[in-house]
Amino acid sequence: MNVPRTPARRRPSLRRLLYRAHLGVALAAVSLAGLAVVAVGVLTLRVYAEHNLRLIGRSMAYTVEAAVVFNDATAAAEALGLIASREEVARATLYDRNGGVLADWQRSGSGFEHDATQWLLGPESVLPIVRDGATLGEIHLRGSGGRLLSFLLTGLGGMLACLLLIALGAFYLSHRVVERIIGPLDRLADVAQAVRRDREFSHRVPAAHIAELDELGGNFNALLDELESWQTRLVSENASLAHRANHDSLTHLPNRSFFEGRLSRALRDVAGREEKAALLFIDTDHFKTINDRFGHAAGDAVLVAIATRISGQLRESDLVARLGGDEFAVLLAPLSDDAIAVRIADDIIASMAVPISLPAGGSVTASLTIGIALYPQHGPTPEALLHSADSAMYEAKRQARGERRLAVCGDNEQDKETSDVVETL
Amino acid sequence: MIVLITLLLTLLLTPARAAEPVSIARQGEAVGQVVLGILSYVRWPQEPAELQLCVVGPTEFADGLLSGLVQNSGRHVAVQRRAIDDPQLGESCDAVYLGALGDFDRRQVGMALSGHAVLSISERDPDCSVGSMFCLDIRPARVAFAVNLDAVARSGVRVHPNVLKLARQGSRP
Repeated sequence: MNVPRTPARRRPSLRRLLYRAHLGVALAAVSLAGLAVVAVGVLTLRVYAEHNLRLIGRSMAYTVEAAVVFNDATAAAEALGLIASREEVARATLYDRNGGVLADWQRSGSGFEHDATQWLLGPESVLPIVRDGATLGEIHLRGSGGRLLSFLLTGLGGMLACLLLIALGAFYLSHRVVERIIGPLDRLADVAQAVRRDREFSHRVPAAHIAELDELGGNFNALLDELESWQTRLVSENASLAHRANHDSLTHLPNRSFFEGRLSRALRDVAGREEKAALLFIDTDHFKTINDRFGHAAGDAVLVAIATRISGQLRESDLVARLGGDEFAVLLAPLSDDAIAVRIADDIIASMAVPISLPAGGSVTASLTIGIALYPQHGPTPEALLHSADSAMYEAKRQARGERRLAVCGDNEQDKETSDVVETL
Repeated sequence: MIVLITLLLTLLLTPARAAEPVSIARQGEAVGQVVLGILSYVRWPQEPAELQLCVVGPTEFADGLLSGLVQNSGRHVAVQRRAIDDPQLGESCDAVYLGALGDFDRRQVGMALSGHAVLSISERDPDCSVGSMFCLDIRPARVAFAVNLDAVARSGVRVHPNVLKLARQGSRP
């Protein structure tokens, strides 16, 4: 029945699986969105920065134009520095028409910022200084990406904060979802275990919030209903089969095998408690004649009537069985006095005085011969006791039918005493 | 002996002789550039199709100018020498380039120009206080200039502020 299973630690729980999936999806989504936003932001800012740099360059070109015309390096450097120092410019170089450097301005700053700026902003911007259609010189501008850098760092920081928030949110949502999924599954498992362990079919899975799980629960409940009805039918069929195996179908009395089982058990009990018991072996007189004269249906009716009448004379704890044919046996246990056995036998014989109505009309009077064996005097084992009772019954039949006779055992002194006691009754 | 002395003289004099014309030529060229620059920043009430630049008085660096100039815009600048006492200076010139003049001559030229929209540039006028609007400061390294704002205001020509900003005010080196 038990299928070998891989160890539990190798199998991830549904809870962990869901947590992981939720967290993964949330983090991936935020990272993608954040990276996309940062990338678009950086590109946009870069475009604006380039545009801004060109505007600065144009403004510089206008300012330094006269200085270039008059080849005035000092004035050019002043004008260049005046604008560059107030704007997002890392380096501004002014070349005259021959390619010589007229002025050069450079912002003092950290190397890291410079490198990051180079990477973010790309190559320098070149603006010609044109006057009256002639190019007087060029301004080479390199932007300072301080603002871009701070945007990038702020963006990344914001993304990290978002990631943290989303992770917490995902954890909370996962918790809720997991409760909704795991809860019903746990209850389902509980019911399944109760059914498997205790054969307790009355439990049912409660309704669940999620449609699929509710359907699963419903199907499981329906399955339980079927199992329960199967179980009930099986039990009743088993009982009826057991009854049929142990009982005589005509008189509904226990059969020989059932009687022998009960007999040996009763004798064990009696012996343990040092009590007494008695066995009556009953045979119907002239049953063959009744059968021959009135037919088998009449014979059956007579047997049923005998069974009923014998049962009527017994105490609650006694047992009557049909051993086969027209033979019956009665176990009287426990027995406080041997005389009670003899008296019950007499009562049984007396009960047969009333005629038995036959199904085909008319009636017949049947009589019984009874052999009585007492335990433990007439036999220490069930077989011996049965044999003693059987012998007593045949002995009685030989002398006179419709009588009862107590078994005798020649070697047993006590037996003789018992006989005497009984004879006096 | 003679050969030796000649060689010595050559050694001693050649650098000076050779250097001077080259330097003067280069400075003349620079002066030409500055004059062209100033001209390009000046607007007359009626823009002439061809600018008349008159060179007046003894000049040191105007030789390059006399061969004629062409502005970046393509306008030709006709350069001609005029006498200091030429009464037609005001009518026929759009700009005058004054050489080394005494105070008297300077005043005479100023009188001739008054009432006309004429740009005046002095080659040698360190104070730049009388007459000329622009006063060149010609040095071996570069050519700077000063502006006499009073003269500019009186002249009747418009000068672009960028040039005024660029100029050395008064006696500033």
